[in-house]
Amino acid sequence: MTKHFKAWNLIVALTFTILFFAVLYPLLNIFRASFVHPETGVFSLKSYASIFNYPFYLRCLRNSLFVSALGTLFAVAIGIPFAFLLARYRIPGKNLLKTLGTLPLILPTFIGAEAWLILLGRNGMFAKLFQPLGIEIPSIYGWKGIVLVFALQFFPFVFLMVSSAINAIDRSLEEAATNLGAGRLRVFLTVTLPVIMPSILSGGLVVFYLCIENFGVPVLIGEDFRVLSVQAYNEFISEMGGNPSMAGALSMVLLAITLSLTLLQKYWVERKNYAMTSLNPLEVKRLGPLGTFLGWLFCAGLVFVALFPFAVVMVSSITKTQGPVMYWGQFSLDNFIRAVTIAPRPIINSFFLATTATLIGIVFGVAVSYLLVRRRGVVSYLIDVLVMLPLAIAGTVQGIALAATYNRGVIVLTGTWMILVLAYFIRKAPYSIKTTSSLLQQIDASIEEASINLGVPPVRSFIKVVIPVMLPGIIAGGIIMWVTTLAELSSTIVLYYGPWATMTVEIFQRIGSGDFGPASAYATILIISVLIPLFILNRVSGKDIASSL
Amino acid sequence: MRVELTGITKTFGKVKAVDGVTLTIGEGDFFTLLGPSGCGKTTLLRIIAGFYTPDDGDIRFDARRVNDVPAHRRETGMVFQNYALFPHLTVFDNIAYGLRARKIPRWETTARIGAIIKSVQLDGLEDRSPSQLSGGQQQRVALARALVISPKILLMDEPLSNLDAKLRVSMREEIRRLQKELGITTIYVTHDQEEAMAVSDRVAILNRGRLEQLGTPAEIYHRPQSRFTAEFMGASNIIEMDVIGYDPKESLIAAEAGSYRLHIRGEQPAGGRVTLSVRPEWIRVVDDTSAGKPGILCGTILNSTFLGAMIRYRVSGPGGASLTIEVHDPEARGIRAKGDLLWYQIPPDRPVVLRA
Repeated sequence: MTKHFKAWNLIVALTFTILFFAVLYPLLNIFRASFVHPETGVFSLKSYASIFNYPFYLRCLRNSLFVSALGTLFAVAIGIPFAFLLARYRIPGKNLLKTLGTLPLILPTFIGAEAWLILLGRNGMFAKLFQPLGIEIPSIYGWKGIVLVFALQFFPFVFLMVSSAINAIDRSLEEAATNLGAGRLRVFLTVTLPVIMPSILSGGLVVFYLCIENFGVPVLIGEDFRVLSVQAYNEFISEMGGNPSMAGALSMVLLAITLSLTLLQKYWVERKNYAMTSLNPLEVKRLGPLGTFLGWLFCAGLVFVALFPFAVVMVSSITKTQGPVMYWGQFSLDNFIRAVTIAPRPIINSFFLATTATLIGIVFGVAVSYLLVRRRGVVSYLIDVLVMLPLAIAGTVQGIALAATYNRGVIVLTGTWMILVLAYFIRKAPYSIKTTSSLLQQIDASIEEASINLGVPPVRSFIKVVIPVMLPGIIAGGIIMWVTTLAELSSTIVLYYGPWATMTVEIFQRIGSGDFGPASAYATILIISVLIPLFILNRVSGKDIASSL
Repeated sequence: MRVELTGITKTFGKVKAVDGVTLTIGEGDFFTLLGPSGCGKTTLLRIIAGFYTPDDGDIRFDARRVNDVPAHRRETGMVFQNYALFPHLTVFDNIAYGLRARKIPRWETTARIGAIIKSVQLDGLEDRSPSQLSGGQQQRVALARALVISPKILLMDEPLSNLDAKLRVSMREEIRRLQKELGITTIYVTHDQEEAMAVSDRVAILNRGRLEQLGTPAEIYHRPQSRFTAEFMGASNIIEMDVIGYDPKESLIAAEAGSYRLHIRGEQPAGGRVTLSVRPEWIRVVDDTSAGKPGILCGTILNSTFLGAMIRYRVSGPGGASLTIEVHDPEARGIRAKGDLLWYQIPPDRPVVLRA
């Protein structure tokens, strides 16, 4: 018992050390840097003053809030009816629509942005089709395009949260309202809607957070419409350490926003959650033929519009290209051949980094889950806060914090692959921890004691009994870590250096230089690498991956 | 194996979960730790199992002090409240777990599991996973898993609390039968006094971490020493009376409450008042014709509950108290309604004087 206890103390100490150096210290470091005068190096509020004095920076902030608010609004506006139609009515192909409807949130947003550039960009497919006819197509550049991509990629979060809320409502609740004399509309407005409201708000906050922390979409199609995440990156990267104080200050503004969103979600919205275990779920109603058709049209149409861009990218990867010019209808495997033979390094890098980070993350995740669930107390509460903190930090901000902290001094990591692994595993470990700890929570601590009682020493009991029971969670968490790491761009772009460019970096840069064909080839490899493990997981465990995100 | 506890104390934060408990459990005894939730019974059991280290006191198995023996070397078999079956293992593998940990040869493992499966009637379920079993079957697996390692001591932590009422009764009889067959020292934790009386050789009543009373079920039921025990083990009427005299020759206490006088056998009380415990079934209902005779009380029925085999009256008692009276075979004795008068008598040799 005492030996057991000491082993866990060691793990607590180790976890704290890792979390401190990987999460807290880098943040504190750029926090400090943001108060240093860029030229003189003394304490100064100059950077913060600049943000609020120069119209340019203020515009970045305003732009960020503007596209995030609009993106959220649209995502909620399409996510709610999508959830309602699929949860409460008979819609043909419902299960397929549900599955496809969750896909956009796993597919990288910057690939969605690329697709819209291929379709609606200056040299895009539609421009070519319609310009000869003298028809002006709407521009994708600027805030409109950003909002479009945000809404289409993030509405699944609203869909998932709202539909799980609808499924948790017991039939008796609406029946009681009807019994008390309320009509259908009244029941909806006074009972159903208020009950699912916390979930709508929760979904909205998550989407807002995802919008404001997003880097790939605004940088690719925003053009001169600058947002905070992009500007922080620019300040940091220009001349490498160009203005760490300014980058730090912008990061802090972004951090303040993302952190307050997370806190709002955690302590306000979640507390208002009317958790019910529904014994009799709501009846699934049948609409009239026209209603069914319109309902289906909306759901299927939405799924089509959301996934079409990814099909476009995949098709364009096997299309003959020359720079931004696509010869539609002429197929060629040149892009893939080039990607695999001439420049396979990004593919290898991505797989190597994602796999390494996932393996470390799994070990870390299992230990932390165990601490969180089985050793409740002040210490585990602190670990919980620290370990979940990266979920509230924009990728760009975390990248800047790590790069700025470990570029000199005793530990130099900037410019090595290790810093990428560190960033990935600390950012994605929360997924693994969520899946394993929720599984661990369902299992009573007494099974471990039963094993000890039957004569197996504590550490071996943990391995023989707890690990096997957590295994499905470990695998699911590992797969989520792996696929999300593979698709990571916002911190990679800050932290990578030359030879360690990943597929995401490669795609990003090729799009930037208008080299769409090769970009699409890498993007297709990325999409397939993400979908295959998720498909297998879904088949094997019947688990909907999206529920773990 | 004998289990000896001396001065066991365990504190969690500021709460003394177990407070100086000393007791001895004899070889082959079915010993029950009984008390309300939070009384320290489970803590005490877990101290014996080795999951908690006591802050103070010694645990001895036979003569050997086992305080420093880790849980996995204590050779106890424990049945957990929620069974704690390993969800990833089949019934067979669950039962085999302890044998494999002891590196028992395969042929012997198979033979021993076969025998235990027969005696807990799990035949044919060997390959099921725990989630495919009913509550009663899970309970049997947990029991088999603990017994198959031939432990020196069987520990059971509220093993029946997750079963429905009927199954609880048949399972407790089965546990009792198995325990007698194997002659294994058993320590059983429960908050259910009826269960405790039904299965135990001896019972320890625990209250707020302290040992309240120790004895056979009959001793504890008939001779409770404290108000807590009297009320916890069965139902009891508690009557407070003033002491008006004592006859040391006959060991009789003369006491009164209001105009009612009673002579009770007992030692000389220290103070001017005595607290008595009278079981509801000890009180005798008498004919109306006895009215006015000495020792006969008359009360108004405040409440009457018909329970089939008996009827339970709540009547006004001496000195403004109210008493519960149980009458068996109510039809033969005449059923009375709320508001009726009832004549009754407390047999003078029955009341128990409680510790002040």
